[in-house]
Amino acid sequence: MMHQVAEKTFVGDFYKLCNMLKAREPFAFNRFSDGELYILQNKELILDTQQVKVGAKVTDGIYKAEDHKRFHPDEHSFYRDRLVDAFRYQAKNYFNGLSCRCCVGEENFQWQLDFHGNYDENYTWANLLVNGNYPRFIHEMYPLFNNYKTIFVCNEKADLSTLPFLAKDFRVGYNAMVNDYGLIETMKNWIDENDIEGHLFLFSASSFSKMAIHQLYEHSPENTYIDVGTTLNPFMDMSLDRTYLKSFWLGAKGKDLGKICIW
Amino acid sequence: MIKIVSGHSYPDGSTVALVNLCNQLNSRGHNCVFYGPDSWHLDKCKSGTPHEFRTEDGDAILLHGIELLTIAGLQSLELTISEAAKNQIWRNMWSAVSEILFPASTSKKFMLVLSCREADSSHKAALRYSLFNKIHFVSGMQINFNRVKRQRFICPDFLNALVPSDNKPEKAAGIIGSISKANATKENIEMALEAGMETVILYGFLADPIYFYQNIVPLTKSHPGKIKFAGFNDDQQKMYDSVSDVYASVNRPLSKVPRECALTNTRYHGVEIGQDEFLTNDQIYRIWKNELGLG
Repeated sequence: MMHQVAEKTFVGDFYKLCNMLKAREPFAFNRFSDGELYILQNKELILDTQQVKVGAKVTDGIYKAEDHKRFHPDEHSFYRDRLVDAFRYQAKNYFNGLSCRCCVGEENFQWQLDFHGNYDENYTWANLLVNGNYPRFIHEMYPLFNNYKTIFVCNEKADLSTLPFLAKDFRVGYNAMVNDYGLIETMKNWIDENDIEGHLFLFSASSFSKMAIHQLYEHSPENTYIDVGTTLNPFMDMSLDRTYLKSFWLGAKGKDLGKICIW
Repeated sequence: MIKIVSGHSYPDGSTVALVNLCNQLNSRGHNCVFYGPDSWHLDKCKSGTPHEFRTEDGDAILLHGIELLTIAGLQSLELTISEAAKNQIWRNMWSAVSEILFPASTSKKFMLVLSCREADSSHKAALRYSLFNKIHFVSGMQINFNRVKRQRFICPDFLNALVPSDNKPEKAAGIIGSISKANATKENIEMALEAGMETVILYGFLADPIYFYQNIVPLTKSHPGKIKFAGFNDDQQKMYDSVSDVYASVNRPLSKVPRECALTNTRYHGVEIGQDEFLTNDQIYRIWKNELGLG
């Protein structure tokens, strides 16, 4: 099925979230990038130093320890089901970022729409905070985090000491989607016990983020949840291995910062 | 109608100053709109995009950061702004030659004022000063750098209403201003740390990310937990409330920071500007009223 969305733009959706942050209107921004797409497609996925395996296709490994991921369809079906729940969840101000046709191809883009089943007006781009929007994210969205008590969910190796808005952090390790799944319940309890409302939760925890954002927003929709992915890596002493990060922070050649993703 | 037009409207000091000017003029009964190509200014004042800009008879147009080569360039402002970044060498040569051989004249239908907000505007080779009725400087010190023979006036920026904080932190330094080599952000941080500050917060537009990554990130590692990056913050009261001291090692004659520090009871460590710059908002308004011929 094909869906036409009038006046939906990569930049326009970015400012939609920015304006909600300014207005302190709670929302959730979840992102399903290519890694999550493969898990949703129930393909075996291995990302590590030695290899990148997607289904039957194997290439050389490029991932650092904190980015290692392993999903086996039989062994990890419970977690894949939770990812499907997050992907299909629909609620007011729950924004679902999909992998766009310009980044994963027409076939995979269409697969996501078909797999979801219902067209959601809150669909947006998984890449909404990166590529051509990354300078806007750093210059215009990042400073808005100062207006919130902010909770960061990220890798245990990350150094958060340069973030002035940090109120609390929760840490995850390797393959957090499987190994740290229980943290979601811990966070729900912490929210309840401390009457947490109007806070901002930032996530940089790979596929774990997707499940946590869904379940926490369903549990406490009075807070805001954003999957910031790798966008804040330069402030966290984490690697700049993404092309858009290298271009912005190191001046490396590349077209990602000029890329305005299409719907 | 008063129309402010800028080549950028991302969050930095000049955009804030133009937003303030727009709001001040509207609050004093004039009809003023600020046009800029970015989105940051749109919810800060009566505003528009370059696409929406039109000239009308009787307008007073204040132009900032746009290398205008012809009056006709105002009619296609989007194109003028986007083209300015291209073919810079050719544009500079063409402008310099044509300024001598074919001096342009000002419009008879509207007043065009060039607003120079940089300390040294002499490098703006592609500007055709003869198109402008007047040139506005923020500080008298700019005139030393600028030899253009046009009618000129000096008017500092409007100040936001700021008050001293009742509960300021101790040994918390602020580095205020765009983060770049020109602003000596790294040296300011080092000055604050050497003075014994326990926290140094960077409040400013990240103008040069490569400079930040090469110069500031290593400092965050050698002084763990002490340096924080807040980015540009348009809530100035909150910003000054969060720091006890401000460090500024570079002579910035246009900076409002010393005055804002005085208003908020924040200790300022840097170059002071002259007393003649300290005008009240009413005095500043009277200059604009006179120079733009506002009724």
